[in-house]
Amino acid sequence: MTERPARAARTVTRGAAVAAAVVVLVTAATAVLVALAAPGDSLRVTVRLLPLVLVVGALAVVAVLGTAVLRARTRRRSTQRLEHAREQARRFEQEARTRFLARLDHELKNPVTAIRAAVAGAGDDAGPEERARSLATLVSQSTRLSALVADLRKLAELGTQEIEDEDVDLAQVVRDAVEDVCAQADAAGAPRPAVDVALPTAPWPLPHVRGDVDLLYVAVYNLLANAVKFSPPGTRIEVRGTDDDGTVLVEVADAGPGIPQDEVGVVFDELARGRDARGLPGSGIGLALVRVVAQRHGGDVTLRSRVGQGTSVRLRVPTAGPSGGGPTVR
Amino acid sequence: MTGAPLVLLVDDEQAILDGLAPFLERSGLEVATATDGEAALAAHGRTPADILVCDVLMPRLDGRALVRRLRSDGDWTPVVLLTQVGESYERSAALEEGADDYLNKPFDPQELLARVRAVLRRAVPGQPSLTASDVLVSGGLRVDRAARRATLDGRPVALTPKASLLLDYLMTHPGELLTRERLLAALWGFESMVTTRAVDHRVAEIRRVLDDDPAAPRFVETVPSGGYRFCGDVRRGARG
Repeated sequence: MTERPARAARTVTRGAAVAAAVVVLVTAATAVLVALAAPGDSLRVTVRLLPLVLVVGALAVVAVLGTAVLRARTRRRSTQRLEHAREQARRFEQEARTRFLARLDHELKNPVTAIRAAVAGAGDDAGPEERARSLATLVSQSTRLSALVADLRKLAELGTQEIEDEDVDLAQVVRDAVEDVCAQADAAGAPRPAVDVALPTAPWPLPHVRGDVDLLYVAVYNLLANAVKFSPPGTRIEVRGTDDDGTVLVEVADAGPGIPQDEVGVVFDELARGRDARGLPGSGIGLALVRVVAQRHGGDVTLRSRVGQGTSVRLRVPTAGPSGGGPTVR
Repeated sequence: MTGAPLVLLVDDEQAILDGLAPFLERSGLEVATATDGEAALAAHGRTPADILVCDVLMPRLDGRALVRRLRSDGDWTPVVLLTQVGESYERSAALEEGADDYLNKPFDPQELLARVRAVLRRAVPGQPSLTASDVLVSGGLRVDRAARRATLDGRPVALTPKASLLLDYLMTHPGELLTRERLLAALWGFESMVTTRAVDHRVAEIRRVLDDDPAAPRFVETVPSGGYRFCGDVRRGARG
């Protein structure tokens, strides 16, 4: 709050200086005009060389010093702005890291607690039934831990590993992913998800993109699987493909419960799990993975959601191919 | 002497040795253990093992250096490496050093047992394995592994890097049923985040490029509700 009066004082000083300069200029111009308009009168100014040189020299020094001061001030301000931005980035990074560690702590504690409980329950005095139950817990919880570790490692690796740079038909990727989520629902005996697919055919089909077909498949599949997971049976899921001049957009929209506004900003974080998603299976890696895949292809992913109405996620992939973030294979 | 193959299990984590050794013994193998590469070399020198199962990260002499040391001494005892860090890199490095197979940690002990048995079945005592060969040949198919080039009946064929990696893996495990999940974990590094369609796509690419008829395959055979198997005979080839 102390910045505002200081800024006001600076503005007043600058205004006064400009006004003074205007007065001096107007006076000088008037004097010259009067001299020119009065014929017969003449104005002779005699100046000695040495004082003239001294005055001009002094004016030049003042001008140079003034410019230097102004430049230094500008530089200092831009350095301050840069430092401020860096500090803010550091703070965001620190906050994200703290959030990640808190979530990791939570994700690890439960299976480890279950394992310790199972070990205690399989002691010498345990009956065969109790021992079998404990063993089953040991297997399932250690499998859960393995999957979590593998997913996190894969996610870390994806940020830097070489990715392929080949021709990819995203429309085909979308069709494959839809077919797979439906086949999986069939295999699990669950109701078949109602997925509407709208891929353009006129004036032309979706252009192909460059990249890694397996990773793009993983990204689209994850978006679809999420939509299916959070949609009540019978509600529709819409998948749209759009050619947006150099970018292919794949949008997956559901009419599920939606995500509270305060969680929308962090859903792409590693291990992020919504308050309402705690009871559902999943490690919270899926959307983080989609984000990394999008970034590795030079694109991005964004999410819009309204509680009670649904969620729409947009994956954008430029047709030009992967850029930044690591080497590519050609 | 029980006549069972002798496995030398090498890991610096005693808890892993304590769990795996009895499991492998119960599965009909004879087991010796060592806690680092140097100790493993000494134990193998005293009583040659039929196969070594080695962790990669170990004090004194790590798993890959151990494989290098054995191979440079002309010792072709099969080695299965247990990798865990930076898996893409370790995957290729493990095979380039001359390991016969690798498993990503954490793994299912049953899966390790299956790997060990498969490697022992393929191994010819005293002979380098297919994974140590620069060139693999199956009928008219010739794969120069170091140069990553393949030819079919003398004509060069173009495979994407991932299909090339998959063909290499299938050819170095001939006759062995490789499930989609196993291939996905070994070659893609995915465990639980994706369906196995990626594997099917690449097999389709290999078949298309090699003009291999799935109904009468010369190279890659589909095992219904199982996975894939390289059905051609594979032999070592010479470069040049």
